Amino acid sequence: MSELTMPQAVEIGLELLGKDGGVVVGEASENANLRWANSQLTTNGNTNEKSLNIVAFVPVDSGIGAGIASGQVRNRDDVAKLVEVARASGVASGASEDAAELFAGPVSADFNDAPVSADLSGISHIAAGLGEVMRDKSAQFFGYAEHEQDTLYVGTSAGTRLRFPQATSRFELCAKSPQRDRSAWSGQGGTTLLSTNVHEHASNVLQGLEYQKTKIEIEPGRHKVTLSASAVADLMIYLMWTASAREAAQGRSVFSAANGGTRIGEQLTARNFNLVSDPKLSGLETLDRVVNLGASSMSSPFDTGLPISATSIISGGVLSSLASSRHAAAEAGLPFTPLADNIHVYDAAGHGSLSETAARMGDGLLITCLWYIREVDPQSLLLTGLTRDGVYVVRGGEIVGATSNFRFNDSPVSLLNRITDAGESLDCLPREWADWFSRARVAPLTIDGFNLSTKSDAI
Amino acid sequence: MTSLSSDLPIEISQTALSVIADAGADVGQFRIAEHQNRMVNTRDGSVENVASDSNTALSVRVVHNGAWGFAASTDLTHEAARDAALRALEMARISAQVSNEPVELIDEPSHGTVNWHLPIGEDAMAKDDSEIIELLQEWNARVAKAQIVNHVDAGVSIGRDTTFFADLNSNQITQSRDRISANLTAIHISAEGFEDMRTCAPPAGRGWEYLTGTGWDWDAELNQLPELLAQKASAPSVEAGLWDLVIDPTNLWLTIHESIGHATELDRALGFEANYAGTSFATLDKLGNFKYGSPIMHVTGDRTADHGLSTVAFDDEGVSAQKWDLIKDGILVGYQTDRATASRVGLTRSNGCAFADSAQHVPIQRMPNVSLQPGKEDITTAELIAGVERGIYIVGDKSWSIDMQRYNFQFTGQRFFEIRNGQIVGQLRDVVYQSKTPDFWGAMARIGGPSTYLLGGALNCGKGQPGQTAPVSHGCPSALFTNINVLNGRKEASA
Repeated sequence: MSELTMPQAVEIGLELLGKDGGVVVGEASENANLRWANSQLTTNGNTNEKSLNIVAFVPVDSGIGAGIASGQVRNRDDVAKLVEVARASGVASGASEDAAELFAGPVSADFNDAPVSADLSGISHIAAGLGEVMRDKSAQFFGYAEHEQDTLYVGTSAGTRLRFPQATSRFELCAKSPQRDRSAWSGQGGTTLLSTNVHEHASNVLQGLEYQKTKIEIEPGRHKVTLSASAVADLMIYLMWTASAREAAQGRSVFSAANGGTRIGEQLTARNFNLVSDPKLSGLETLDRVVNLGASSMSSPFDTGLPISATSIISGGVLSSLASSRHAAAEAGLPFTPLADNIHVYDAAGHGSLSETAARMGDGLLITCLWYIREVDPQSLLLTGLTRDGVYVVRGGEIVGATSNFRFNDSPVSLLNRITDAGESLDCLPREWADWFSRARVAPLTIDGFNLSTKSDAI
Repeated sequence: MTSLSSDLPIEISQTALSVIADAGADVGQFRIAEHQNRMVNTRDGSVENVASDSNTALSVRVVHNGAWGFAASTDLTHEAARDAALRALEMARISAQVSNEPVELIDEPSHGTVNWHLPIGEDAMAKDDSEIIELLQEWNARVAKAQIVNHVDAGVSIGRDTTFFADLNSNQITQSRDRISANLTAIHISAEGFEDMRTCAPPAGRGWEYLTGTGWDWDAELNQLPELLAQKASAPSVEAGLWDLVIDPTNLWLTIHESIGHATELDRALGFEANYAGTSFATLDKLGNFKYGSPIMHVTGDRTADHGLSTVAFDDEGVSAQKWDLIKDGILVGYQTDRATASRVGLTRSNGCAFADSAQHVPIQRMPNVSLQPGKEDITTAELIAGVERGIYIVGDKSWSIDMQRYNFQFTGQRFFEIRNGQIVGQLRDVVYQSKTPDFWGAMARIGGPSTYLLGGALNCGKGQPGQTAPVSHGCPSALFTNINVLNGRKEASA
């Protein structure tokens, strides 16, 4: 990208797309990361990445075709090659069923500004904290810290010129006993590593290892559990990813009604439970405009530039909306519902911290996080996965020890009507999905009859 | 790839390596990698996406003062190479402050200047989009005309990696490899719900010829798909309990991947993935003595298999491709290594399993092709089925999950044929099999012969932080496993 700035590349792309138009998205990212294991740093990196994405809209018989090409560009010729490939793909694709007039989105006053550089001081902050924590030889420490600064440049032939910088950080600390018979984890998402208190996370995981010194045998089966915010986030993110209006309307999802149509309007839980995606969520703000390169049952490049507002997928326990593109919404006879890149899960009656919520459970299991979550049955949205790094036994409101890990088989939809209590929502790091989705404000939940199918010997 | 077909890679590698040599670093490695991908997918015959992308970057990796340092850039210039070298040295300086055990790489001879290309038939990258779309739409039409089929999803994915590697050990290695994958899913919707049935063709290190009949009989599978879907839609739900399972290679490859492939990664056994992908029950103390499975179990690692997705001539540390035993006569006898982990456990050479999914990522220990070898006697799948009184023949992969030490796993599949008295009597639904790795492989009672052997695989094996994906192949024959725990997926979901 040495000869072109990103805004210049976007403008050249749009110019070369000509009157047929399309969408051009430039991405500039800087990433710095540290990784450690066995109480020493292992890998690290500092990378810069720039790429340009062209979505060409091309007139074809009976409509408009769309083609996509992405790559790095260093000069006008490189952009022209991408445009040529995208246009050829658009011609070949035939008429896109989701073709629609592009929306004239906003024009950012700072569109021509340079990408935002990553603040790397957070990495040094983490390294310094780790140096102190790793002196503790009572445990071995493993983990990862990452800070990424992305700057998005979005241009469309309808006039949208959007520049959107976004910082994302992530910190994970795992501690294991020297004999590797106990393991605990603590994580934090956010926008800067400078707010990460490494010592506080170390205190959390060392407390977890201490609890795990008392081993208590628990048989597999359906148990009352309190799921941490991280665990709930991983389940609810998957629910959100499958909440497609088109799939539901076509009878292909857990949100399909038995006799056709969708389950919108159905009471999923008697509690005042809410699952919201809101680009203005304070502290977890994200892009409030649609930017799509490819089409799916939930998205269309022709929607790029349209505003995204807060969307409640579940409101007051009722399935209230499903995600869609304009085309999918019209096809299903539902409102157009694009989703933002965050999730807010709360229960109106939720109160107290994770430990207070677990204490109110009385007797049951406190689950730190979930891992290797996969869909088993799309019809019920049955998911399987493992508990990981701490299943604590709660008796009389107190943690009295820890038990083994388990494989779970349960559905994030069906468990909604088994919620018996909730804590206050808090910012968390969804451990399973953090590579793809990390902006989560989620309540810990107590669930009756959570299906812990079999034991896992894994530590 | 324009960048790698010129003298530019050699020239800018020398810029970076001279900075590293001047700094007195012990190890200096320079890479340029270009990854090209094309993808077409259709929904009910309409094109949903036609996309292509390419990603090219350079990176520099050093060991200096006993610590790793890494930096990368998407600019392919002398300035960017010099800057990356300086940044990598700086990252090594920071890491050295917290490292208490110096990084050492086991020796590998210099291989000099090498050019290698994975052999393929017809260049899929050169195909017009329209030809790919026509193929998918013809497949779609063939399957969609059946009354049982309400919807059809289909897709083709094509990939090419072109890489250049140079180091302070006088290597200058240029390589390229291709891969291709396609699938089609037919969906039936009724008042009772929906069922689907997907093709079982694995991704392969092949060209366009793969989609036209070389290496997979697409016509036969597509023609059978509606009838298979109809059988499944009307099949009884499985009774949970212990069953004998005859597992087809189209399903067993994934069980091998999860329960053997990842479990025999040495970096996992040493704890380096403990925070993310996890560790392994197959720890070093078990090497040479742990009974992984039944005595008929012979599992190899290789980077040499024909059409393998992990096949390459040299890894990202300049180590040449090899083949070796991981499990022999049911006993754990080997691991997958990179140069640092090999050094750490006292091996004399790495077996060449260090690679990254782009030049922007650090090479880590990744999976070679890991394959279960067929039995010497050429027992057919039909013969395996004939020996089962009450069982299920499982074909095709679907859902998969395994714990962080690779013990407890759960898999489903595409097709579940009930076996009674040695005969297939129809399909079952909702089959989920669950076991513990040593128990499962210990229950392998018979193994199919060479005629049942198939190279399966995946394009999306994930590992590492930052996350990396890699394609990998797993060959295996059909095999019989006795008394395996089968759950009913539908009943598991009901509270």
